[in-house]
Amino acid sequence: MAERTPSPPMQATARRHVLLATATCLMPLLLQLPPELGWGFGVAAVLVAAASWRRPLQAVFRILLGIGVLLAVVAVSPGIGRDTACALLAGMLALKPSETMTLRDGRSLVGFALFAPFATFLLDQGPLSLALALAAVLLALLALQCLARDEGEVRVADGPRWWSGSTGVLRLLALGLPLALAAFWLFPRLPSPLWGLPERALAKPGLSDNMTPGGFLDLMTDDSPAARVQFFGAEPRPQDMYWRGPVLWNFDGRAWTQAHWLQPAPAAPMRPAGPGWDYQLDLEPTESRQMIVLDLPTAVPANAHVSIDFSTWSDTPLNNVSRWRMRSAPPAAAEPDLHPMLRDRALRLPRGFNPRTLALGRQWRREAGRDATGVADARIADRALTWIRRDFAYTLKVPLAGRNEVDDFLFDRKQGYCEHFSSAFVVLMRASGVPARVVTGFAGGYRNPIGGYWLVLNSDAHAWAEVWLPRRGWVRVDPTAAVAPERVYDTLADRQPGRIGAFDGLVPMFNAGDWLRRGWNDFVLGFNAQRQQDLLKPFGLGKLKGQHLILLFALLAGLALAWMAWLIARGERERDPLLRAWHRLDARYRRLGRGRAQHEPAQAWAERVAADQPRAGEHLAILSRRFSDARYAPQPAELQGLLRDLGRHRP
Amino acid sequence: MRPRQPEPLPVLLRRSRIYVLPTATGLFFGLLLGTMGLGALNFNNNPALLLALLLAGAAQASLIAAHMQLSGLRLLAVSADPVAAGEDLRLKIALDTVDARIRRGLRVAAAGDALHTTLDSHGTTVELHLPTQRRGWLALPRLELGTVQPLGLARAWSYVWPNQSVLVYPAPEAQAPPLPAPAGGKGRPRPARAGDDVHHLRNYRAGDTPRSVAWKASARRDVLLVREYEQQLSGELVLDWQATHGLPHEQRIRRLARWVDDAEREGRRYGLRLPGQPVIAMGLGALQRHRCLRALALLPGEPAHG
Repeated sequence: MAERTPSPPMQATARRHVLLATATCLMPLLLQLPPELGWGFGVAAVLVAAASWRRPLQAVFRILLGIGVLLAVVAVSPGIGRDTACALLAGMLALKPSETMTLRDGRSLVGFALFAPFATFLLDQGPLSLALALAAVLLALLALQCLARDEGEVRVADGPRWWSGSTGVLRLLALGLPLALAAFWLFPRLPSPLWGLPERALAKPGLSDNMTPGGFLDLMTDDSPAARVQFFGAEPRPQDMYWRGPVLWNFDGRAWTQAHWLQPAPAAPMRPAGPGWDYQLDLEPTESRQMIVLDLPTAVPANAHVSIDFSTWSDTPLNNVSRWRMRSAPPAAAEPDLHPMLRDRALRLPRGFNPRTLALGRQWRREAGRDATGVADARIADRALTWIRRDFAYTLKVPLAGRNEVDDFLFDRKQGYCEHFSSAFVVLMRASGVPARVVTGFAGGYRNPIGGYWLVLNSDAHAWAEVWLPRRGWVRVDPTAAVAPERVYDTLADRQPGRIGAFDGLVPMFNAGDWLRRGWNDFVLGFNAQRQQDLLKPFGLGKLKGQHLILLFALLAGLALAWMAWLIARGERERDPLLRAWHRLDARYRRLGRGRAQHEPAQAWAERVAADQPRAGEHLAILSRRFSDARYAPQPAELQGLLRDLGRHRP
Repeated sequence: MRPRQPEPLPVLLRRSRIYVLPTATGLFFGLLLGTMGLGALNFNNNPALLLALLLAGAAQASLIAAHMQLSGLRLLAVSADPVAAGEDLRLKIALDTVDARIRRGLRVAAAGDALHTTLDSHGTTVELHLPTQRRGWLALPRLELGTVQPLGLARAWSYVWPNQSVLVYPAPEAQAPPLPAPAGGKGRPRPARAGDDVHHLRNYRAGDTPRSVAWKASARRDVLLVREYEQQLSGELVLDWQATHGLPHEQRIRRLARWVDDAEREGRRYGLRLPGQPVIAMGLGALQRHRCLRALALLPGEPAHG
């Protein structure tokens, strides 16, 4: 059995199947690569497959192409990361058809190709990737079946080949589904990974940990979801919906960055104003540990922590959809006692930038004076807000940043969006001696009437400011909202998701679609060890322990296997209803040991039965006569009656 | 359970005698799915895990399906017409199933020859070629029924060892002297071809050689007709073991076998006299040939009687 004979060559049909399966496997991965690599590899794959259709490419060409792929990957995304590895895999897969000639080659190609959808899921878990991966699995199984049929010299005569093939594959998939689902939900999950997920070499678009001029623009045009929130009890007003992300302390004249050394420090003392909000947050993967929370967090789960500036961090990178139960409340006083070192940080400005703003800040301080209670500080902040509200405008069309960007914005341009407003406001505050910092995150949200949850989109990305006032601590000031509240809180009707211009016919579809996606996130993407333990809670059972899970899994897997065996053994259904009824009749007699022998004609059998059982046999003789007549000279009109009589007859 | 000794037919393949193991491709796929599953579990990457499990579920179903391709299969009978030693024996194997499922790509193999077939409950007959070396009874080898359907990931196979032997005639000598003179010593009979006259033709009977068919006459009458050669008592021939005296034992058998074939070809009635056996009476035709060659085939090996 194990002797190595040269594998027979693939037939043209099998080859087409294999190449089609490979292409479908490759497709979702190519879509996740940088466009130049994706297109490049896609075109290369088609060319290679066409060039090697008759005979394999020469080894020299193959080696050259391999080197080409390597160079392309290095050129486009230098560095070692998850995405680089995936790009390399895609490139190698694109070249593999150049040496795929025999059945064995075909099988190994299909096998390796299945790594492509897997690799895709390391980069993206969106619905498109999923749909393509599912198609890829189907086609890969179809290709395998085609190869097996070639090996078994099966000629499929009836009906188109792909149809008879795909029903077989779908059947296998359907048979395997219960086992797969049982394993998915019940196979014990790892509470923490054994090894970490390699980072990406190229960052994924999303809320970044710094703020550079123009950096927000990509995000603000991205309508993909960032989080979904379900409130329990009170819901905040739109103007309270500030989703706090990175808090930026350091300004170098151009970019705002976080103070990473503050991250381990525990949350500063905070006195809430009011009962706050209880909510469940479903975060989309961001690949970083930074989370967003409603301003300001009061209670977070054990696997997350709030740092001193109230930015919130998960213990592990958010590589998958994750669910968090949190509480937040508006502050009455947040960090009322500011450590001198932090105060110093919150006042620091780079030398040699924005001289006009610094001068204006100093002038305002002179005019406002100084006092310990913070009245002067508050007055300065109000003065800035008043000025901005009066003289400034909101726009996304902003020229490239110059060296003194804040000066340009405050004194010349007077137009910009959240990142300009927040940055300029904080620089002005610091210049006038008021401790201030920039906070980025999301503002507002969209309430989906289906499901009653809030959807936070990437386009809701926002940056605002916080100033520190004696006794009150950090106070949120949103200069952008002072100018264009409708842009910040998403109260504009035309910014409703799913709406195209004035046409809102697709909005219900968008709502339903997002609701479905939320369910998918809930049941599939966000499932983990924690959720697994709580699986039986709705049935009134407590946490599931490891051995219980294994037992339950073994039980269900056994059931699934038995079901599979039964279904496969049941055989293919007889198509002819008459024969089916006749076989059932035969089976009834067989149970009594009077079944028809295979060589026995219907009439002879009936006579034999009649000899043993005169009463039933007499009727059987009539039935078998009618059966023979119907078989040899079908009378469609009488078929129904015969079927009924066959069904009724009992030995 | 692998049959350790030959067994009577028919044999129904049941669960206990079917083996299922992954093929090389299957092992490769297992490794692949294992890697995928482990990676997905580690990263808690649910779509990847679902993908791996879906594939694993289908692979598992294909394992069972491969098993089911064999179970319920029945080996009804095997038979083979005798051939001369050295020629390939055409082993006819009759198969059917006891259920309604269609078996596709079933591989039937024995002693180095293999072929694929497709069958349903109506059954089928396949023909394998078995090499023969020696005259006499040839015990049938173990037959292997196997399949890699439906995905080529698992091979299911089973052995059936029919307790049956098939006869192998002795190989006729290639270079042999012409037929000996008839026993009566009245010279060779004149050739008995008597033309196509109607009264010399008779209906075809199973066993008549194609040479003896009168094709023209058959075409005219739309029924197969055979020339009836004139039967001359004077042409009767007794092939005698003693006439081959002096040759090695096996060569004597081969010469006699050759003479039997020659006599058949020339249409002469013949008998066979072998040591220690009753004389085989005069006759002609397939049955007579079989009778004589069978006796020759079953002669004991090294010289028992001088």
